[in-house]
This record gives sequence, structure tokens and C-alpha cells, in this order.
Amino acid sequence: MISRALSLKSSITEFISSKQLLILFLLCIFTFLSIFIAIGTGSYDLSVINFLLGKTSGLQNIVLLEIRVPRVILSAIVGASLGIAGAALQGLFRNPLADPGLIGVSAGAALGATTIIVIGANFFPNLYLGSFLLPVAAISGACFVIFMLYVLTKGFGYQGVTYMLLVGIAVNAIAGVGIGILTYISSDAELRSLTFWTMGSFGGVTWPLLVPAIIIIFISLVFLIPNARKLDLLQLGEPEAYRLGIDVQRVKLSIIFTSASAVGASVALSGMIGFVGLVVPHLVRLIGGVNHKYLLPGSALMGACLMIIADLFSRILLQPAEIPVGLITSAIGSPFFLWLIFRMKRL
Amino acid sequence: MSLNLESVSLKLDNRQILKDVSLEINEGEIVSVIGPNGAGKSTLLNVLTGDINPDSGEISYDNKQLKQISIQERAFTRSVMSQMQTLVFNFSVKDVIEMGWLQRGNSDFSNNFSMAFENVTKECNVHNLIHRKFNSLSGGEQRRVHFARTLLQLWRPSESNDPRYLLLDEPTANLDLSSEMLLMNILKKRASLNVGILVILHDLNLASHFADKIAIIKDGEIMAFGEPEKIMEDAFLTSIYEVPIKVKHDPLRVHYY
Repeated sequence: MISRALSLKSSITEFISSKQLLILFLLCIFTFLSIFIAIGTGSYDLSVINFLLGKTSGLQNIVLLEIRVPRVILSAIVGASLGIAGAALQGLFRNPLADPGLIGVSAGAALGATTIIVIGANFFPNLYLGSFLLPVAAISGACFVIFMLYVLTKGFGYQGVTYMLLVGIAVNAIAGVGIGILTYISSDAELRSLTFWTMGSFGGVTWPLLVPAIIIIFISLVFLIPNARKLDLLQLGEPEAYRLGIDVQRVKLSIIFTSASAVGASVALSGMIGFVGLVVPHLVRLIGGVNHKYLLPGSALMGACLMIIADLFSRILLQPAEIPVGLITSAIGSPFFLWLIFRMKRL
Repeated sequence: MSLNLESVSLKLDNRQILKDVSLEINEGEIVSVIGPNGAGKSTLLNVLTGDINPDSGEISYDNKQLKQISIQERAFTRSVMSQMQTLVFNFSVKDVIEMGWLQRGNSDFSNNFSMAFENVTKECNVHNLIHRKFNSLSGGEQRRVHFARTLLQLWRPSESNDPRYLLLDEPTANLDLSSEMLLMNILKKRASLNVGILVILHDLNLASHFADKIAIIKDGEIMAFGEPEKIMEDAFLTSIYEVPIKVKHDPLRVHYY
């Protein structure tokens, strides 16, 4: 029993340095801190401490529990899943520029979701079924795009960084056409929810919408993190990973499916939020190292933390109006992307 | 216990790469494969590792067919050093060597990691590189790091005598003289610990000196297989390499310029 406990402990700390553990711990604290701050801040004044002490009014409780808390939780899990999916896809493609948004995975998910919004409403009027249907449609869209990438890059064979980005541009354009057609045939009410996809926002989320997405994202994170070591070995190239005992095909499929689920469920609830999957893993690598046992949880935490803060800014910068959060992440992410390209050119 | 290849043939893109190749590598033996460029040496190695399935013929590790050995079990039985791997992300040397550490989920393995790691890095003379970034190393240093990783993959508790095999594709390319000698002597030492070794080499003298047996391959066919003293011979080598070659014996030396 003791030796079993020992070996469990060593399997958690194996291949991860104490510095990296410290960084993960600090990221945890920052995430909780930002959750706390984000819940207490907004155009409607609220104090989390007063709420915990039971000194808040009924209206304040409603604002807190039905609006603020789900919104902050949503931004946290969307940030976490985009961050970790970015890290996993970059590892899988062995390509530092792979980002769910840039390579068209988010666009595929958005196309799946818009299809359901515009066409699906006629077939599935039932709301609760709809709240599961939306993420499922988005996930199918995301999966479809990754499989298409798989075929076009000949099984993710190493063809250079630019090739995949070019394919991504094409995929984005194709999805854009689909979304355009759907926009054209949609009614006014549908149009409003469509506009929301293109920008990305955490507004208007409710618990019945949130719970299925939380379940899907949580399950995919649980399946993704044990692949960390395999992703490390994949960096040596597929033949080498196989020689080190990895069933490469299975790992690929499992990573594709879990990251597509995480991205799909995120897009279904918050629309397309660009560059998080690109910027977050780079920051995490920059501060602590590149091994995936650290990178995957690190990207999830950093993604959650940054997304909560970005959403906080989107709420308070132009109070009481809101800036779409996708606008904020793109404003920060696109110069970062440019910087990355210039840096790679020098290498 | 041995690694066997029985009449293996392989066609790729309508070209016959391997023709009826048979080979045996016994435990504790160094077999060197030599031959001109494009003879099929690397393909032969890829067939042995299980990367490529041959069209016909059998590969077996210790009388067990390769097909029946799981991918994970293969990694415990044989370790492979291939020609070059590039890394996209900035892994440290320590990260790269650790990739060779297999997890068997028993405490023998998890408790001995630091010791095995230290031994192997000292043995390969990379212990003062472990905190550097892999991509900042020179070509020769990178090879030594991959070699250390390959050795770490074969680590066993001292009392274990499971058969193990080491397959290397031109491990001495890019190495300076001292690293070359270091590597070849480590191979010799591993062989004395009962590891079966197949090594592809270009240097005929290196092969003659260190190998117990030499396999000469040309156009996908094994032209000769046996002890260096017996098969290294003027006319034969000249016909293989198409340059004038002279062989002197005691000690065995090959001269070609």
C-alpha cells in the first residue's frame, strides 16, 4: 500500500521540475484571485465578502448567482479549454503557430453552431435538447475541420509551419462562406445571435446553457492531460514516438477528439474568441519550459486567468456598455502573432 | 536468445528495397551492417524495429514474432537510435534524455530514475550539458544526447536478464574522434552486458575492429555475413564499393586511398 502511494506521488512529480510546480501553484492562486475580483466587479456594485457574510439583498443575490457567477465561470472554462487545446494542437502538429482559431477549428465549430441556430430551430424546438445540441453541433464542426487538416497535411506530416496556416486560411474562408449563407437566410432574431458568434462574448449565459458545456469541457480536459508525456515523445517525430512505445495513431485520435470537444463546446457558448490558444501556451512556455506535463495544466490555468481578466475589461472599460471580449483578445493577440512570425523568421 | 530476420523482402514504389534478407543478432553480439548509399541499410533497420512491415518474411525477437509483441513491449525489448531528429520546441537536454525513460508502473523503475539518469549522462559525457537547450547544441553534441536517451531506454534493474537489443543507424556521423571512440566503447561494454547490437556504419575499419560479425549489403541483398576476418577481402570489397580496396590482416585494416 505504501509503495503504491509512493509510486503515485512520483508519477505526479515525475518529469516536472519544482520550479514548474511552483508556477502551476501560483497560476492556481491567480486564477482564484481573478475569479474573486471578477465576481465582485461590474456595473452593478456588489461585494463578494458581504455575500459570503449573508449581508446582501435579494436583488444582489440574483445578480451575483444568476448573472455574475455563471459568466465568470464560463470565461474561466472557455479560457482554460482554448489554452489547453492550443497547447495540445501545437504539440500534435509540432507547430508553434497552430491555434484553434488560426487553423480554422473554431470556424468549423462556429459553422456547426450557426447551422443549428438557423436551421436546427425548425427541427428541435425543445430548449433543453437544444442546449446540448448546440455544443454537439459545434464539436462536430471542429472535428470535421481537424480531420480535413489531417487529410490535407497527409496525416500531420511535417510540411513546414506555413503550409498548415495556408490550409487554415482556406478552411476559415470556406467556413466563412457557410456562415455567410446562413446569415443571409436567417431571420432577424437569429441574426442577432449570429452576430454574437463572429465577435465572441460571455454575456447572456445561463446555468441551463452552461452545465452541459462544463461537463463536456471537463471530460475533455480529464482525457487530455494524461496525454502529456505522449505529446512530449511525439516531438521526436512519429517514428521515434512509436519506438518509445507510443501507439501514435491512437494518441493522435484522442488528442484531436478531446481538443475538438473542448474548442467546440467553448465556441458553442461564447462564439469565436481568437488568439487565446496561440498566446497562452507561448506565455506558459516562456515562463517555465516546454514539457507538456507542465504546459497542458499551465495553459489551462493561464487561459482561465487571462480570459477572466479580458472579460472583466470588456465589462468595465465602457460601463455600462460592453466591448465584445473577442475584440479584446484579438487586439492583444494579433500583434503578438506578428511578433512570433518575425521571431521565427530570424531563427 | 536472438533477434532474427528470415527471408524478408520489401518493395516500395515498385522498387525492390530488400531481397530475401536473413540475419541473426545474438545476445551480447555486435553486428555491423555496411554497404554503399542506397543499399537498403536504413530500411533494413526500419523493418527490424517494426516501423515498416515487410511484404514477406518473418521478424522475431527471442522466437516471438514481432507482430505478436505489443507496441509498448517492443519499446522495452529494443531501443533505436536513428539518424537525426529535430525539435520544434525549446526542450532542455534533460527533457530530451528523460524521454527515453520508460514507465513500467512498478517501483523498481520509478525509484531508480535519478540513478539511471546520472549514470547514463556521465557515461555518454553529456552530464555537463543537461541544463542547456537541446537546439543550442552542436550536431555532435545532439547525437550524444540522443545516444544517452537510447541507452536510458534500455535500463533494467541489475538482477533482470530480459533480452535487450540496441539498433543504431550511423551513430558516429558528425562525431569527433573522441566521441566516436566513446560511443563504440560503450557499445562494446553493452554487448558484454548481454545486449544484442546492430549498428549501421560507414567506416570499414571501425566496423572491422568493433563488430563480432559484419553484414555487407548491396542493392537490398546480403552479399556476405560473418566474422570480419573471414569476409573482409580485397576483390570482394572492391566489387561492392567500386573503388580499389586493399585489406591487410593482423590487425585487420582496410585501405582505400
